[in-house]
Amino acid sequence: MSFATTSRRLATAIAVASISLFTSGWLSGPQSTFETKGPVARSQLDVFYVTLWVTMIVFIIVAGVLAYATLKYKARQDDVDKPIPPQGHGNPFVELGLIALSIGALVIIAVPTLRAIWYTYDIPESERANAYEVNAQGLQWWFRFEYPSEQIDGTGILVNANELVIPAGRPVRVNLRTADVIHAFWVPKLAGKVDMMPNRGNHLWLKADEPGYFWGQCAEFCGEDHAVMRFRVIALAQDDFTRWIANQKAPARTVSVTPEQPKLQAAGYVPLVNPKRNAPGYTAGFDADPFGGWKRMQEVDAGEEAKLALDGRALFKEKTCITCHTVRGHDGMGVNAPDLTHFGSRTTVAAGLLENSKQNLHRWITNPNNVKPGNKMYVGVNGMSGYIKPDEKGDMTIEHIKLNDSEARAIVEYLHSLK
Amino acid sequence: MEAALKTSYTEKDHAPKPSSRPWFFTRPTAKTGLISWLTTVDHKKIGLLYGIFSLFFFLVGGFEALLIRVQLAVPNNTFLTHQLYNEMFTMHATTMIFLAVMPLSAAFFNYLMPLQIGARDVAFPRLNGFAFWVFLAGAIILNVGWFAKSGAPDAGWFGYAPLTSTAYSNQFAGDSSTDLWVMGLQILGVSSVIGSLNFIVTIVNMRAPGLTMMRLPVFTWMTLFTAFLIILSFPAITIALVELMMDRSFGTSFFEVSKGGLPILWQHLFWIFGHPEVYILILPAMGIVSEILPTFSRKPLFGYPIVVFSGAVIGFLGFGVWSHHMFTTGLGTMATAAFSLATMAIAVPTGVKIFNWIGTLWGGQIHTRTPMMFALGFIWMFMMGGFSGVMHSAAPADAQQQDSYFVVAHFHYVLIGGSIFALLAGVHFYFPLVFGRMVSEFWGKLSFWVIFIGFNVTFFPMHFLGLNGMPRRTAVYDGNMGWNSGNLIASIGAFILGVGIFIYFVVIVYTYLKGKIVSRDPWDARTLEWAVPTVPPPEHNFHVTPTIHARDAFWYQKTHTKEIAEENDKHAKEEESHGGIHMPSQSWFPIITACGLLIGGLFFTHHHFLAAIGGGVIVFLGVVGWAFEGPGGYHLHLDKDGNPTDSHGDKH
Repeated sequence: MSFATTSRRLATAIAVASISLFTSGWLSGPQSTFETKGPVARSQLDVFYVTLWVTMIVFIIVAGVLAYATLKYKARQDDVDKPIPPQGHGNPFVELGLIALSIGALVIIAVPTLRAIWYTYDIPESERANAYEVNAQGLQWWFRFEYPSEQIDGTGILVNANELVIPAGRPVRVNLRTADVIHAFWVPKLAGKVDMMPNRGNHLWLKADEPGYFWGQCAEFCGEDHAVMRFRVIALAQDDFTRWIANQKAPARTVSVTPEQPKLQAAGYVPLVNPKRNAPGYTAGFDADPFGGWKRMQEVDAGEEAKLALDGRALFKEKTCITCHTVRGHDGMGVNAPDLTHFGSRTTVAAGLLENSKQNLHRWITNPNNVKPGNKMYVGVNGMSGYIKPDEKGDMTIEHIKLNDSEARAIVEYLHSLK
Repeated sequence: MEAALKTSYTEKDHAPKPSSRPWFFTRPTAKTGLISWLTTVDHKKIGLLYGIFSLFFFLVGGFEALLIRVQLAVPNNTFLTHQLYNEMFTMHATTMIFLAVMPLSAAFFNYLMPLQIGARDVAFPRLNGFAFWVFLAGAIILNVGWFAKSGAPDAGWFGYAPLTSTAYSNQFAGDSSTDLWVMGLQILGVSSVIGSLNFIVTIVNMRAPGLTMMRLPVFTWMTLFTAFLIILSFPAITIALVELMMDRSFGTSFFEVSKGGLPILWQHLFWIFGHPEVYILILPAMGIVSEILPTFSRKPLFGYPIVVFSGAVIGFLGFGVWSHHMFTTGLGTMATAAFSLATMAIAVPTGVKIFNWIGTLWGGQIHTRTPMMFALGFIWMFMMGGFSGVMHSAAPADAQQQDSYFVVAHFHYVLIGGSIFALLAGVHFYFPLVFGRMVSEFWGKLSFWVIFIGFNVTFFPMHFLGLNGMPRRTAVYDGNMGWNSGNLIASIGAFILGVGIFIYFVVIVYTYLKGKIVSRDPWDARTLEWAVPTVPPPEHNFHVTPTIHARDAFWYQKTHTKEIAEENDKHAKEEESHGGIHMPSQSWFPIITACGLLIGGLFFTHHHFLAAIGGGVIVFLGVVGWAFEGPGGYHLHLDKDGNPTDSHGDKH
């Protein structure tokens, strides 16, 4: 076999291997840093490719020499009586030459690195006029998103949670804050991560080329539930974005009960029976077209049961959910927990962990500790009791909130009516 | 003249008579049995103690790693709870860094460095014993949480504030795990700094005649650099830990956010220790490899001065790159750029070492015995870890890689493929020196190949997991993220690696008990540690303090036997005329003092401050006893066959 054939086969093998890595999803998952969808992530990927090619070439040369030396100078059985090799101590010119070459290779990496450090740090001057600004705040273990330019009369700025909606094609500056420990904001397809540091004002910028639905996740270890602190970014065309903002600024939707509507006590879904801890909360159907799924969530459910939703609204108050959750226009002014004013239009529940289906919501509110152990809704936060509260000794043994099946169904119906 | 010398020495007391001192100042003299180990000041015994305990903790840390890989083998797994998983990765890292790789390096420093410089022991033998017992106290405190209600430490080995503050790590009950972590690291730091000062003083002062600095074996050079890195970097984490301890126990606000503390301060203090720590873990490994490669290539190290100098440059630059661990904390453009370039710069002296190792192989006669296989494996794996390190140095690329599995892949290539491979090579290489037995080539090579394959199957896929957006330190992941096959392969690899390590240790234990007995210098080695008269070496290391004529001192001895024999005869007479071979006495006080630290530390972490003071009193009494028991010491006299007789106290 000639050298040419060998190298051609090798090249084919490498190509096949890399293609199969992509197609089998090894580099094309929802959080792939290779399938970039914005200029910041792209600039970071470009730098990565420079480092990859430079180090690959150096590796191939050095490894080749190492392999050659090892094989060529390997002692054979019949070498036993061979005289010892010359006891040379080195060659300064070889050394200096290699040092110069290494520095040269590093300069090739350094130049694009420096350029990208400045580019990715802040929105370029030319695009600043067009920029949109949002605040992202990390909390154990969810994200609060604020839209400082969207004022709501008499209330303050627009707030939602765990799903950041941005205008596509416009640079977005994300101010990063935290309410407790260090978290990090990471949407791999749009931009690399930046930490949310206590007592420090960080920021990043990103831009989505096209409308789309993106996965994000906290990337700095932040305690027990770090693994399940996730979020989504949805980029909308400018028109859709304006419409979305207008809808979000409106107070919570109230269902209207008309006499014709039948009075049902059970919404049409079967709750999961004792779902396992960490049981998946995603479905292939949603993943096939997540952006379409998001759009569907904006519409009112076809089979909505108004009476049940009204019962749910009462229960939401009665079960003290309102001490931490706000449903603007309904009850509740709590700020310790996600704002639920338009909860029904979100695609996920429990900080990006479960798809926002009635089944999953039922699972989450009936046994939150099983979904997300130690979460603040279950154990309480900032002096507010959760599903359990401490006894005299300080042990968390007293049950504070308990939902039976029909209560849970009512609250699910209520929350899903909040479009 | 000779007679006059002899009289002047023999008329002197070199230690007070045993009978004239109170009973608690009696120096133990047992040379075998439990007491000999508890009171030892022999650098070889202390080296073995370090070795045994670090290998034990290496297996503990490996077991923790396997549990982690079981949990991550499939998506949405429930094998470990989130809490237990967090404890597992915290303790895996803490154990591997502080209780496995560092003390295993210390084992080699202790055992080899005095032999390589032709000394009879280190400069402060009792302090050397103390460093070990303090290490053990710290190791116990770190791990005691596993057996307590609070559980093991769970805030990560980096312990980022404010997750370590009482508000977040101490949510409901009296959780003492973070206190245990703080106290454990603090005490381990004491051990490391004490040990390092001892090594520095020893290398600077106790080199054999003729052993100039530029003739030092590379391993001793790396010992020296590592020791300097330790004494310069540990103060930073000591301060950080004291501040954290104050925050947790006495309500100060160094890192307490609600009182205006700055958590970013912790990161700077931690990484200005933490980055040199990386070189503390790798420089000893580079030293070992720099001994093994020349031996099995049968030629001197290529470019010795540049290898040594690049080690020093790495040490210096290592203090100027800490913020590359913090590229995502919002440093700003200028700082990010500066640390990015400094980090790239450190690749140059590191790359130089690889060139020199290849240069050493070039033109040699390479004997691929088991230690050489591990050493070659080290070069390959360290090279890959180094190249992914260069990728991290480019800050914009790092924004996607930091805290992802790409980083996990990178540093395991450096720490397992680098440090551990070299240390495993060292264990094989020096086994004949330490125990006089040699590991079977077949089983040694088999363990190498299983470890090598298992290691790559485990960690290579992690590069892809990281680039595909999988964050580190996550107890669970969903099955729709494209991470399933990578994780499953990594978990299978972890078990292959586990099998390899298992074979390795079974072979080592078997060899210790029943392996082939060898005479000294089975590898045809080059440096002075192999010049000992017998394997294992006698307590006094060398019958005669050697005189050094060349860089590869033992190689020179082997090629100039007649000259060396005459010289040794002469020097033996001189040493006997000075009163014989001077040896340090054993002592109880190092272990007593360390026990005080253990007791005080344990009570302090549980906020029993009065009892903690009791521990402090033991430390105080231990130190006072140590000071007043006197320097001790005794002499050995060798007969014609090199058999020693002791002379304790009194006159000769």
